[in-house]
Amino acid sequence: MKKYRTKGNIIFDAIIYIIMIFVLLVCLVPFIYMLAVSLSDPKAIVNNKVSLIPIGINFEAYKQIFRYPNFFRAYGNTIFYTGVGTLISLIMTTLFAYPLSKPNLWGQKIAMKIVVFSMFFSGGLIPNYLLISNLGLTGTRFAMLLPFAISQFNLIILINFFKSLPSEIEEAALIDGLSYFGVLRKIIVPLSKAALATVGLYTAVFFWNDWFNGLIYLDTKQYPVMLFLRNIVNGTTMVGDAAGSADKATIAISIKSAVIITSTLPIIILYPFLQKYFVKGLTVGSVKG
Amino acid sequence: MSLEKKKSEQVQVPKLKSSKQRHLRRYWQLYAMMVLPIAYFIVFKYVPMFGNVLAFRRYRPGMGPYGVSWVGFKYFNQFMKDPSFWRAFRNTFTISFMNLIINFPIPIVFAILLNEVRAVRFKKVVQTVSYMPRFISTVVVFAILGELLSPSSGLLNQFLHNVFGMEPIYFMNEPQYFRWLYVLTDSWQFTGWTAIIYLAAITGISADLFEAAQIDGANRIKQIIHVTIPSILPTIMVMLILNVGRMLSLGFEKVLLMYTPSNSSLSDIIDTLVYRTGLYNQNYSYATAIGLFSGIIGVVLVSSSNTLSKKFTGDGIY
Repeated sequence: MKKYRTKGNIIFDAIIYIIMIFVLLVCLVPFIYMLAVSLSDPKAIVNNKVSLIPIGINFEAYKQIFRYPNFFRAYGNTIFYTGVGTLISLIMTTLFAYPLSKPNLWGQKIAMKIVVFSMFFSGGLIPNYLLISNLGLTGTRFAMLLPFAISQFNLIILINFFKSLPSEIEEAALIDGLSYFGVLRKIIVPLSKAALATVGLYTAVFFWNDWFNGLIYLDTKQYPVMLFLRNIVNGTTMVGDAAGSADKATIAISIKSAVIITSTLPIIILYPFLQKYFVKGLTVGSVKG
Repeated sequence: MSLEKKKSEQVQVPKLKSSKQRHLRRYWQLYAMMVLPIAYFIVFKYVPMFGNVLAFRRYRPGMGPYGVSWVGFKYFNQFMKDPSFWRAFRNTFTISFMNLIINFPIPIVFAILLNEVRAVRFKKVVQTVSYMPRFISTVVVFAILGELLSPSSGLLNQFLHNVFGMEPIYFMNEPQYFRWLYVLTDSWQFTGWTAIIYLAAITGISADLFEAAQIDGANRIKQIIHVTIPSILPTIMVMLILNVGRMLSLGFEKVLLMYTPSNSSLSDIIDTLVYRTGLYNQNYSYATAIGLFSGIIGVVLVSSSNTLSKKFTGDGIY
């Protein structure tokens, strides 16, 4: 590839590499900094010695939050909302997407219109709030789960995916005596693992990150971990009560960082495994409704 | 002749009926699958939509979610005369506009440049890392921002102090930084993610075009200008029009988190106004009216931009 070795190309490549390294740093530095702060000695933080490398490594902040009963409860709540919410959502979305992927089914077009319309016009905050409280869901965990059982965006991704599956396999299975429920369970779902993983990841990320619905609908005991974090950042929840009041402020910084790290870690760990799927999901979903 | 016709009509009528029955008998399981999802859409999507009538009705606590009596456009007139509404309205448009101007081109540039990286593994790493922030909660973004910009210990203030000897700046509290912080955190979070769509479009360009350009003596910058950009122009247009359509739907949660009384003059947007008047002051009807108004503007923006998109590019989102 001799033609690439021109002076212009080398400069061009150099500029691109500099920009890309800058992007890498911008995306990574905030997390590295948080990690460094969470692992550093509080004294080093006060003296502004901590940048990207932890100074005087200690795990005090982590020990503190793990001793903190509210943190544990909130973390458990988030795991519950994410697990159950994703399961409900995957089941409901699949149940709707499969019939909607059959264009010859009567009513399919109208159902699609109803779905798409609801993407562009919605009840808004207040009507939704009044609905949830009138259904008696306020103060129950269902308020975090039921209103988000289907996302129209994910539904459309799945419909498009189901449409792309070869219909011959399905027809053969129907002739062999399988019911539509059987076809869905034994043929469609196993063939759609990639799409389901994509949609599952989007859904799980949504439930893991949600805090606003917890704020308006839930009691303190049911708070998810992101709301716990917001309350720390806001100063609503006091942290570092084990230490003397003088150290409180500095310990609060490292505790905050430790909460940021621990509450984000599962997503960062899960993400590389599912990464290969979701690019496909986004491009499929963006093509057409 | 006429007898035959009659006969065929007689046969046809039951035939039609039975085809309907056959359809149902054949597909009833598919309809059964849809029962729960349709119930979900009715209850959680369409009931709140009709709940918008509250904007035209007076609400009394404990007397149902749909109000007690019609008041017409009273609440609409009320917010039209309300200076805090117009402030929120202006802020919403200013932030959206800034966001569009800055965060629309960045992913395009990023995608084009990333595509020029020839080391495959490095390219993969940059790509993977660049869309990671999309998966981070708004709360975490806000919390990290607070730490990085903290006047006492934050990395940025340390840097400014050590390099330029500047006094610490309280970025999160001073109104003049609010819009920039909003827009730049959005670029941080969504550049890589949005670039996926452009990268997919670039991958779809035929290699012949680049070869032809090379034979004509085009260097890589010229190839970008004359091949890559024109080829992805339809995608760019669709995305632009869609972004204009979505202008009013700002990241409400982020604004809510970044809102402080001292930056409220610039940070109060329509959504936070609805939140505060509705849920905080329990002025349900008034807040519903504001919400409905901005919802309708949103629908008008989306549908007109979609129509434009279809007209100019033959492609839209629905």
